[in-house]
Amino acid sequence: MSQFEEVNVHGYEEFCQAIAERKGKDIFVYFSGNKDAEGKSWCPDCVKAEPVVRGEMSNLPDGSVFIYCQVGERTYWKNPNNDFKKNLKLTGVPTLMRYGTPQKLVEEECLKGNLVKMMFTED
Amino acid sequence: MAALRKAGFLWRRTGSLKFCRRNLTGTYDYDLVVIGGGSGGLACSKEAAQLGQKVAVLDYVEPSVKGTKWGLGGTCVNVGCIPKKLMHQAALLGTALQDARKYGWKISGEVSHDWCQMAESVQNHVRSLNWGHRVQLQDKKVKYLNLKGRLVDEHTVKGQSRTGKETVLTAKNVVIATGGRPKYPAHVPGAVEHGITSDDLFWLKQSPGKTLVVGASYVALECAGFLTGLGLDTTVMVCSVALRGFDQQMSGLVTDYMESHGTEFVWKCVPERVERLTSGVLRVTWTDSQTGREHKDTYDSVLWAVGRAPETTALGLDQLGVKVNQETGKIIVGADESTSVPNIYAFGDIGESRPELTPTAIKAGKLLARRLAGQSQQLMDYDNVPTTVFTPLEYGCVGLSEEEAERRLGKDGVEVYHAFYRPLEFTVAERDASQCYIKVVCERGGDQKILGLHFTGPNAGEVTQGFAMAVQCGGTYPHLLQTVGIHPTCAEEVVKVNITKRSGLEPTVTGC
Repeated sequence: MSQFEEVNVHGYEEFCQAIAERKGKDIFVYFSGNKDAEGKSWCPDCVKAEPVVRGEMSNLPDGSVFIYCQVGERTYWKNPNNDFKKNLKLTGVPTLMRYGTPQKLVEEECLKGNLVKMMFTED
Repeated sequence: MAALRKAGFLWRRTGSLKFCRRNLTGTYDYDLVVIGGGSGGLACSKEAAQLGQKVAVLDYVEPSVKGTKWGLGGTCVNVGCIPKKLMHQAALLGTALQDARKYGWKISGEVSHDWCQMAESVQNHVRSLNWGHRVQLQDKKVKYLNLKGRLVDEHTVKGQSRTGKETVLTAKNVVIATGGRPKYPAHVPGAVEHGITSDDLFWLKQSPGKTLVVGASYVALECAGFLTGLGLDTTVMVCSVALRGFDQQMSGLVTDYMESHGTEFVWKCVPERVERLTSGVLRVTWTDSQTGREHKDTYDSVLWAVGRAPETTALGLDQLGVKVNQETGKIIVGADESTSVPNIYAFGDIGESRPELTPTAIKAGKLLARRLAGQSQQLMDYDNVPTTVFTPLEYGCVGLSEEEAERRLGKDGVEVYHAFYRPLEFTVAERDASQCYIKVVCERGGDQKILGLHFTGPNAGEVTQGFAMAVQCGGTYPHLLQTVGIHPTCAEEVVKVNITKRSGLEPTVTGC
């Protein structure tokens, strides 16, 4: 069983804080639309992709960090100038990214377990 | 022994007996193994997988002499077309900033360029392409192996990892698409030790500074072109002619433009040695082959662009009898990309007499995959392949050079229409358009079929692409005349050419 740290954050500031506190680590971030009181996200693809991504988490490298980041409500996300779009160049949710590298999977790509596994296991 | 032979196992006499790894049902690990994950290899393997074949692709980058290495995607993505075009664009933007002032933009102070920032952005884009290719292979179910492939026999490939670990794969068909790498003039003392090549240039973290580019291929001219455009002191050393193989009149226009726009040219000179001085700069000594005199100068960097050598030495080709051109080292291939050994194919830059271009490698790879999967008989058509040289004044062409057309049909069999024109955008910017020129080489008489089309000017690639289709369709000079131009553009001057070289009239376009 691999040893990794799971962190939950809400919004851009908390995300930046979590990153700043973990300099030098191999950080994977899963960006999802906010979940409501029942734990369901407004983003249907995020709902579908989450179990796929969670299913591959045993493949995360030892010592790595997995940040589950809820980006905000639907209206916040739809704004093309939101912090995630502006600063991280995110184009859609869900996005799974390996922070500081060009490795990312966007939207339908997150639904493919083999692609998620590839990101977690390859250099 | 005889009994085992009857069972269908292959024995090979190579000093020790080797087993061909087939399981008892006689199948191979893969339908297709592709050695080389560049433009050609990736296109071929993805197409084959989409057609239901079980495919593996081996990609491995031997670090350059300076230690530069890169990811999946081959020369084009990592050390060719992509970073080249981006840096060419960076240089053009520098020129545009100067033009902008004439168009009313108030740009205060000196404009300077930061190599580090540009390099990082370009390198990040390339890395995203490496990742994109990785995702595509995985998605299309192509097995990717970061191993250096070598042929053991016609159905067996051995892959070696960076740490030396070996993996054996068997395949019904093997395709070699390993491409080429820049050559060093190894006979020049200090060349290997102190010089760099295009493999290194795009990955430099610091500016190359004052640079000597040795060579006059499109690689040399394109690199020298953008280095000049970025504000670096750049010299090109040519031993004989520039852009060998291209139309020489057009080549002259390209180099004339570069010479009058800040690139220093040293013609008919040959480098003798390169030494590093205590200050760290490089001192290059060369001989002027016309006067016999020796010259010296110092540079921060020396870029060798003296040709590319095929990546065939470590493949084990001679052991298998795969025929190679002794002079070039490239694999001799048939019209169907076959080699002298059945079920081993080769295409892309590695093929003898093949164009060293990404689009031809991609197309040839896809067609090969279709033929191997039994889905098609179509062969790659290597005629009328358009291309563009992305020098500061770009040169786009499709079809034959004027010299080649005359070689084939005789001077009397060819009619050349030509025109010097001036891009509208150059007027206000007060830019020199002396080398902006169009040449349409046609059959004389008969249908007046267009044999070759040549264009120097801005956006030459964009201009030429559409005309390539016309040539593909057997376009004629009358077709050209029937085509209405789009105004105001540079491209419209192509459909308006009407002065022949034969007439001796001034081929300068008058304005509208």
